[in-house]
Formats: sequence, structure tokens, C-alpha cells
Amino acid sequence: MFVDARTLPQRFVIDADVCIIGAGAAGITLARDLSSGNRKIALFESGNFDFDADTQKLYAGEVVQQAYIPLDRDRLRYLGGSTNHWQGSCRPFDALDLADWPFGPEVLEPYYSRARDVCQLGPDSFDPADWSTAEARPLELGQGSRLKSGVFQYSPPTRFGTVYRNDLATAAGVTVYLNANLVQIDSNESASVVTGVEIACLNGKRGRARAKNYILAAGGIENARLLLNADRVQKAGLGNAFDLVGRNFMDHPFVPAVATIFADDASPEMRFYDQHVVRSRIVEGYFCASDEVRRREKLPPFAIGIRSANAGIDAGVGNIKLPAVLRNLLSDSLDRKVAYYLPRILDRLETPVTWLYNKMWRKPPGRFVTVYSCGPDPDPQSRVTLIDDVDALGMRMCRLAWRLPADFEQSMHRAHELLAQELGRSGIGRLRIESSSATGYDPMQNLGNGSHHMGTTRMHNDPHRGVVDADCRIHGISNLFIAGSAVFPSYACDDPTLTIVALALRLSDHLKSSIS
Amino acid sequence: MRQTRRFVLVSIGCVSGLPLMLAAGFGFCTDTRVDGTAAKLRALVADAPAACALGRSYRARFPEEEKQAVLTGLLCSSLGLGVRGIAAQDTDALLSRLDSRVREDFSCGDTVQVNGWVLARTEARLCALCK
Ligand SMILES: Cc1cc2nc3c(=O)[nH]c(=O)nc-3n(C[C@H](O)[C@H](O)[C@H](O)COP(=O)(O)OP(=O)(O)OC[C@H]3O[C@@H](n4cnc5c(N)ncnc54)[C@H](O)[C@@H]3O)c2cc1C
Repeated sequence: MFVDARTLPQRFVIDADVCIIGAGAAGITLARDLSSGNRKIALFESGNFDFDADTQKLYAGEVVQQAYIPLDRDRLRYLGGSTNHWQGSCRPFDALDLADWPFGPEVLEPYYSRARDVCQLGPDSFDPADWSTAEARPLELGQGSRLKSGVFQYSPPTRFGTVYRNDLATAAGVTVYLNANLVQIDSNESASVVTGVEIACLNGKRGRARAKNYILAAGGIENARLLLNADRVQKAGLGNAFDLVGRNFMDHPFVPAVATIFADDASPEMRFYDQHVVRSRIVEGYFCASDEVRRREKLPPFAIGIRSANAGIDAGVGNIKLPAVLRNLLSDSLDRKVAYYLPRILDRLETPVTWLYNKMWRKPPGRFVTVYSCGPDPDPQSRVTLIDDVDALGMRMCRLAWRLPADFEQSMHRAHELLAQELGRSGIGRLRIESSSATGYDPMQNLGNGSHHMGTTRMHNDPHRGVVDADCRIHGISNLFIAGSAVFPSYACDDPTLTIVALALRLSDHLKSSIS
Repeated sequence: MRQTRRFVLVSIGCVSGLPLMLAAGFGFCTDTRVDGTAAKLRALVADAPAACALGRSYRARFPEEEKQAVLTGLLCSSLGLGVRGIAAQDTDALLSRLDSRVREDFSCGDTVQVNGWVLARTEARLCALCK
């Protein structure tokens, strides 16, 4: 059932078993999964069914240090949250990615399986070999190779607010309160139990919600902001006894056109590492370091994709006969990509080693560019804090200081060197790393963020090292949980949403057993 | 047509070829023989101006390889051929050898960055030979 909180009486009081804040990927998954005849679930969503500029402004904040997409443009604040414009790229974390987590892949695997359905993904496999076709196949890397291939699968992409709207309307025991913003979290005097939350609407209505358990599912930046604003009992913010809330913020840095590759235009190996369609599913290969090299060279987990530079970006996808619906969904991201690549490619076509290529392979090479992303180590100085300015509901806004490791560029170059060696070894082509000194173009000018907000309430069994425990419960507070990528203790280079959904399903199971 | 994948991990190619060149006795060759061999190697290059540009940068980074005799010797030894061997090969055979040598360099990580290009040591030296 949906209720517009603006129509409730002033000083309303809502009682529930579970109170969830935020109806994005995490909140919607939790509400659907917890739904049952004998549990009352209250899901509070700041926005409405559609975008509203005044509500969106509540996301405004300050960005310092590293450039970042403005905070009220990156995220979306209405039913479905940022999944209203996510791109749908998905991949589960592997054992090495989860090395710093309190549990291993065997714990997540059953939830990943269910999360794939929630995100409307195809067959279970993320093995590149299973997505290999005559037109697009992974590069044969051989034993002892320094690189390996991986594959992202694309969700349609699932717009959670649209796809699951009917479910939410009819789910037993679930009430979704729209236009309802959490503005304060109240606790007992020792801050060990949450006693209620304050809800406010932009039309001036205010009320309270009380529940046995509370889950913050407001996104990776906002969850930290809500805890830091909840400073009535603990001055530094709820759950922040060890000054960890908001720290270790990470996003996936994304650098387009780091290198130019000269290779056969028609090479199925080049096609594999760009978005393409296999059995009606959109997939995209990428190169990453072998486990051995990652350990030995202490490289961050990285992913390098390849885009055609000859016919403009996404020519590959355009050439394929996509079902019309998929084509429309893909076009979501087209502007952004064209803006990234086109201007940079056209004026840099000098080809100093085409001679070698011509000589050995006797046909003119095609041109490709790489796109690089990685998941650096957590950094406590990369963080979300509060500033004194307040939003329309009186909540302090946040400041984001995203910090990248000092050796970021060096690792990026090393990753490309490894790729160049594989391309040369296999006879596929040659690679040129762009830099202002060598080629007059500095890819770092176009460094962007992946809009994956992670780490601000990281998970660790030790309260001195993490905000939440392995059940995503805030240390020291018996009934307050966090859902979303804020709990990730490390980031891999995989997109977060599939894991967010898997963790939400796991949290749901935990709550079901503890409530019953 | 891409050539068949023939790559062997030859550790000898992974180290600088300087000592090998001396062992091969190349240092005792006459200037004429060096010139002839260098010319034959240079003929493998299709786009000489582009290769020259890369070669200049390579020689600036590795001034110890500045001399034609040194470069020619290094190339001969990494191709596994002496001066006579080079002379006896036709261009296709030499290209094929070069191809496998270059792949071996890449395979064992013996690469060098020149003007941003990540090149196999052997192909970078070939560029450096083009003046
Ligand atoms: C442009 C873009 C592209 C992306 N592409 C990908 C991709 O390809 N793959 C991938 O895995 N991820 C991608 N992401 C990230 C993905 O969108 C997020 O990981 C996902 O949406 C997070 O889910 P969530 O439920 O934690 O938060 P959100 O989806 O952000 O939902 C949070 C919800 O909480 C509500 N809320 C906030 N504050 C309050 C409050 N005080 N009271 C009540 N409600 C509140 C918001 O309105 C919102 O609905 C992308 C993101 C962006 C912006």
C-alpha cells in the first residue's frame, strides 16, 4: 500500500515491526522480501513516484578535493532511488574481492543467486567463456598470464521504483510512505537502542515512527549523513563512538581514453571487451590482473574495457540488431559516453607504429580506446562530514572529500602496460598510453566517478574498525541496521548494486529469524 | 590474417642483449658488414619516418645503444642470427623471426615505453636503427 505522508495528520505516529528508510534498490528489496501477513513493514521514502526538484535539493551538499559529480545530480531522490538512472552493469564479488569482509563468497552465493533475479539478469554464469561467441570472444590468455578476463552482465536496467511498484502496492503488511523524510533518530540514553525516528514532509507535516527494528537504506552517502545528524545523545553522531561514520568513503574512479589500441577492427577479441549482445543479454568483457599479479604487485583490483574509436563510441552496440527495447535502455548512457570520448579521439590519430602492424599483418589497424576503473584500498581521510548549512528540513548538509591513493596513476599505467604485453604477445595489436608528456593528452583531466558510494559505515567484526557487524547491525545498538554499499569494507572493481541487493536479502533473512 | 601463435618463453631474450652481442663476436665486424646488416634490418620497416621518430626517443632514453653497431648487434643476437645468418634470410623469413621474437619480448615483459607506446624491446631497437 502507498500512503502520501503529506496527507497524514500533523504529529502522526506510525507503529511497525520494521521501519525502513529509503526506497531504492536496498529498501525496496528489503520491503518485498520481509513482506508477510504477520509483519508490519513501514518503508519511508523521501520522494514521490516521480522526480521533484524541491525534494531533489535535499540531496545538495559540498564537494571538496577531488572533482565529483554534484551530490544532488549524481543520486536521485524518489521511489527507486538512483536505480532510476543506473546503467545496470552487474557482477558479483569474488573470493579475493571479499578478502577483507567478515565472511566469504560461500555466504553470499545463495543471496547472489536470488539477487540476479531481482536485478533481472540472465543465466548465473559470469565466466567469460560462457559468453564467448564467434563475433566476440575473450582473448586467449594462457597459463601464467598476468591478466585474466572477466565479464559484466547488464540488467535491463531494472528501475526498482517502476518494476516493483505493483509489488509494493500489494505486498502483505507493507506500507510505503511517500514524501516522508527521516530527519532524526532517537535513542535511549546510552544510545544502545533506537526508540523512534522523526519523519518530516516538505509541506510542514511531521510525525514519528516506532518499530522493533530500523534499517537505514538511504544510499552510501546519505546513511552516514543521517547517523551524523542524529547527535542528540552521542554528540559525534549515532554509532560513531570510534569516529568511523563517514570515513573510508570510496567510489570507483573512472578514466576514459587512458590508452589507444591499434588492432584489427574486426577482431572478435576487441569486440568482447565492449558492450555487446549475447543471447539477448547485454554483456561487457574486461581485463583485470590475475590473482597472482594482484597479490605480488599490490595492484588495486582494476577493470579495463575497450571501446572502438573509429566509428565513434558505441558503434559496436549500434551495429548489433538489438531488440528495440534494449536499444532504448542503452541509449540512457549514450550522451555521457559520446561526451567523454569523441572530442578526445578525433584529433589524435597519428600512428607511429602502424608500420609494424602493416608489415606483419598486412592490413590497416583499427583504433580503440581503453576505459579504466579500479577499487582502491579504503582510506579514512576520504570521507563524508557535515557542514553547518542546513537543508529545507533543517538537517545539516554533508561535505564529500573523495581522495584517491597517491599511486593511482602509476597503478593505472602499470595495468595498461600489462595489457599492452598481452596484446603484443597474442599478436592482437599495440597500445599507446596517453599522457601530456608523451602524446599531449592527459587522461586524468577526465577522471570521473562511477556514482558508487561505498564504505562510509564499513562492516567489521571489531567496533574499532567498522561501524556495522557482519549482520549489518550498528555496533553497540541492538536494533539499527544499515543496508547498501555503505557497509562494504572493500570495493573490488565490480559495480555495487548486485551485492547491495544480495546483502539486503541476507539482512532480511536475519531479521525474519530474529523477529520470529 | 593473424599469424599462428608461436611463442616460447626464452629467458635469454628477457635480459639486455649487450653481453650476448659481445659473446657473438659482433664487435669484431667490419663497418661494411655492419652497414649491410643494418640496412637489411631497416628494410623490415614500412614507415621509416614514423619509426625514426620513435627511434630518436628510444636512443635518447638508452644512450648506451646509440651506435649503429651496438644496435645491430643487439638485434642480431635477439633474433638468434649472426651477420651471415641475417644475410642468408629473405625478408619474409626475417619478418617471421622478428614476429616471434617480438612476441617473446611481450610475453616475458621485456617492453619499453617510447612516446607512450608500449613496445617490445626488439621492435623498439629496430626503430632506433632507423636514423
Ligand atoms: C548515473 C549512475 C549510474 C549507475 N550505474 C550503475 C551500474 O551500472 N551498476 C551498479 O551496480 N550501480 C550503478 N549505479 C549505482 C546504483 O544506482 C546504486 O548502487 C543503487 O541505486 C544504490 O541503492 P540504494 O538502495 O543503496 O540507494 P538509492 O538507490 O540511492 O536509494 C536511496 C533511497 O533513499 C531515499 N532517501 C534518501 N534520504 C532519505 C531520507 N532522509 N528519508 C527517506 N528516504 C530517503 C532516496 O530518495 C532514495 O530513493 C549508478 C548510479 C548512478 C547515479
